[in-house]
Amino acid sequence: MNEVVLPAMPALAGLYRQAALGSVLRRAGRRSPASALPGVRHRASGGPVDRERLTAFQHLVGQAARDVVPSAHVHTLAFPVAMSVMARPDFPLPLLGMVHLSNTVVQTRALRVGENFESVAYAEKLSPHRSGTTVELVTEVSVDGERIWTGRSVYLARGVRTVSGREEHPAPAPDGSPGAGPAAGADSRDAALPGSGDTFTPPVPTAQWHLASDTGRAYAAVSGDWNPIHLSAPSARLLGMKRAIAHGVYLAARMVELAEPAAPDALSWRVNFLSPALLPGTLAVAVRPGEASGGSVGRTEVIGWTPGAKRPSFTGWVTAQAVDPASP
Amino acid sequence: MSNQPGAGAGTTTVRNAVVIGGNRIPFARSGGAYAHSSNKDMLIAALDGLVARFGLQGERVGEVAAGAVLKHSRDFNLTREAVLGSALSAHTPAYDLQQACATGLETVVGLANKIKLGQIDSGIAGGVDSASDAPIVVSEGLRRVLLDLSRARTPKQKLAAVSRLRPRDLAPNAPTTGEPRTGLSMGEHQALTTAAWGITREAQDELAFASHANLAAAYERGFFEDLMTPYRGLTRDANLRADTSLEKLAKLKPVFGAGLDTPATMTAGNSTPLTDGAAVVLLGSEDYARANNLPMLANVVDAEAAAVDFVSGQEGLLMAPVYAMPRLLQRNGLHFDDFDFFEIHEAFASTVLSSIAAWESEEFCRTRLGLDGALGKIDRSKLNVNGSSLAAGHPFAATGGRIVASLAKALAEKGSGRGLISVCAAGGQGVVAILEAR
Repeated sequence: MNEVVLPAMPALAGLYRQAALGSVLRRAGRRSPASALPGVRHRASGGPVDRERLTAFQHLVGQAARDVVPSAHVHTLAFPVAMSVMARPDFPLPLLGMVHLSNTVVQTRALRVGENFESVAYAEKLSPHRSGTTVELVTEVSVDGERIWTGRSVYLARGVRTVSGREEHPAPAPDGSPGAGPAAGADSRDAALPGSGDTFTPPVPTAQWHLASDTGRAYAAVSGDWNPIHLSAPSARLLGMKRAIAHGVYLAARMVELAEPAAPDALSWRVNFLSPALLPGTLAVAVRPGEASGGSVGRTEVIGWTPGAKRPSFTGWVTAQAVDPASP
Repeated sequence: MSNQPGAGAGTTTVRNAVVIGGNRIPFARSGGAYAHSSNKDMLIAALDGLVARFGLQGERVGEVAAGAVLKHSRDFNLTREAVLGSALSAHTPAYDLQQACATGLETVVGLANKIKLGQIDSGIAGGVDSASDAPIVVSEGLRRVLLDLSRARTPKQKLAAVSRLRPRDLAPNAPTTGEPRTGLSMGEHQALTTAAWGITREAQDELAFASHANLAAAYERGFFEDLMTPYRGLTRDANLRADTSLEKLAKLKPVFGAGLDTPATMTAGNSTPLTDGAAVVLLGSEDYARANNLPMLANVVDAEAAAVDFVSGQEGLLMAPVYAMPRLLQRNGLHFDDFDFFEIHEAFASTVLSSIAAWESEEFCRTRLGLDGALGKIDRSKLNVNGSSLAAGHPFAATGGRIVASLAKALAEKGSGRGLISVCAAGGQGVVAILEAR
């Protein structure tokens, strides 16, 4: 795989503009969609995290303002590199309007305030999906050559048919379960989650998240990700959403804080986005701590849903250990 | 472990409460490195370092007691919230305490007493304050309108409530260091005491200079290496001026006492600045320390609180520790000569000097303290030997934890002797305490 070294951490605003232009060119027939993923890795260096923005991020997602960068914030720091891969002219899927299906993160140790980091991102596993095409963006974050954080984000481009073959991320069944295929959610352990059965029976909630109408804008301000689907109802409607929806990484950050508030070094988590959390809105949340066994710490399972909804908004798990990064 | 039956009739021998160690974050000047950090953030940062240093991850500590002087009402459970955000077991109980600048020391006293009585085996005491992230409240007028509005049922009632709103009600109220009963700021109160005792500008600047020099020297020899965790880019107290001099201090303009007959002597250099920070102390029984292979720096021997009538002007606002001291010493059969370290909190340089002058005064000690003569002299070479609040800064509730941890370490380094702590507080209160080397 070729490597492209970016001169600096790209700015998301420019990438969104580039993506919007690409989408216009594509619609105008000026650019034919590629049918394969670009065989490149993008690499960029990031300076020490901005303390003020870090504090604002930590406070927004309910975390204490420690000198440790929240695992989900590392995603937002490295996200522009993954975006730059998706905004490439030879990237086969339109970036704007892509749906975020899941995130898996494995962290061997936390990124600390004051540390420089390097980020590498590439795309893989372009795969058919009942509603379109899925792709996985892998982002690796290193400090002094040591990889400390690996994130894998799965996106769905609705209505785009570029490849055929086995579905990596089967669509949820009509009843709301996230699919019963062999690679359901890329993790068969998710079958144990509430909500992944035939019918979704909400568990007893242990928490309630009030998501104000400005949640998306507040998150954009601290993450730098001004994706229109999170900002306001009119801007979200342009991209086919009923209303603005909560940013997946915002929900993930709150999930991680709920399960592991002490911000341990070794940390792994996964979140599956099953239906959008509309803004404003209220999510019922249930946390089920896992039992430690055989020298392995427990895995806390979390589920969030809109009361009365047919399927959960998200399911996920958090564990204070670095699970095998080869198969996160 | 239960109480041991004592030798004397009707008395009970209690077990020792020991200081195992402490941790604080460097103190920042208000509006500085911690401008956006909340009390909870800083308390958690201090707890994180303590938990890491003593391997308390997942441990159920007997109790955590801490507090903040400037506290938002939403932080009513500040300490418990900090515990929940820390790596301590969620089964660790916690309570908040507030006794102005004596908060931190009083949490140590309270938890040490519980340990002595066998109610708990371990405890974390401390405090935090942010002058930067201070709560601002709405005016009394707006508050009453909002409360009436929330109770109003009909549009007429709502309109009646809103119509009472005046433009002046929209100005928010920030907390001040003013005494509610006198309207005087703490500095103006101390200026009265400074004038009454004739404390000179030179003496105040000398004390401030010594505080900076001693704190800088303590940093130089690595004294704080196991007492501090860096936070938000700070590795040392931001207020420390290692290069200050008596000449520089002499150039500063007086800020308090300008309206008095006597020359104004209190400057920004010999008064503590508004500061942000947090400090915590790990306490335990000897059995707890041994079972967990933890150090035992010093015993918490005894403590005494006092209060004075400053409202009538009979005594200075910050003079209460002067009254607590003879009671504490008499109860323990001790004199100033029995101590190797004196930690007198430097709210203002003149607070320390007024207290020392009072204890040296035959007349004051006879008439005010009811003693036969002067309480005694304090050997200045034993005073605040690792710096105090003038150099380090004074995040109100964090100061007690800073002092107890530093004094306990100094006693452990020396390997013998006793230390005396004196902390004055708003409201005319004060707490004094004795630590003893093991």
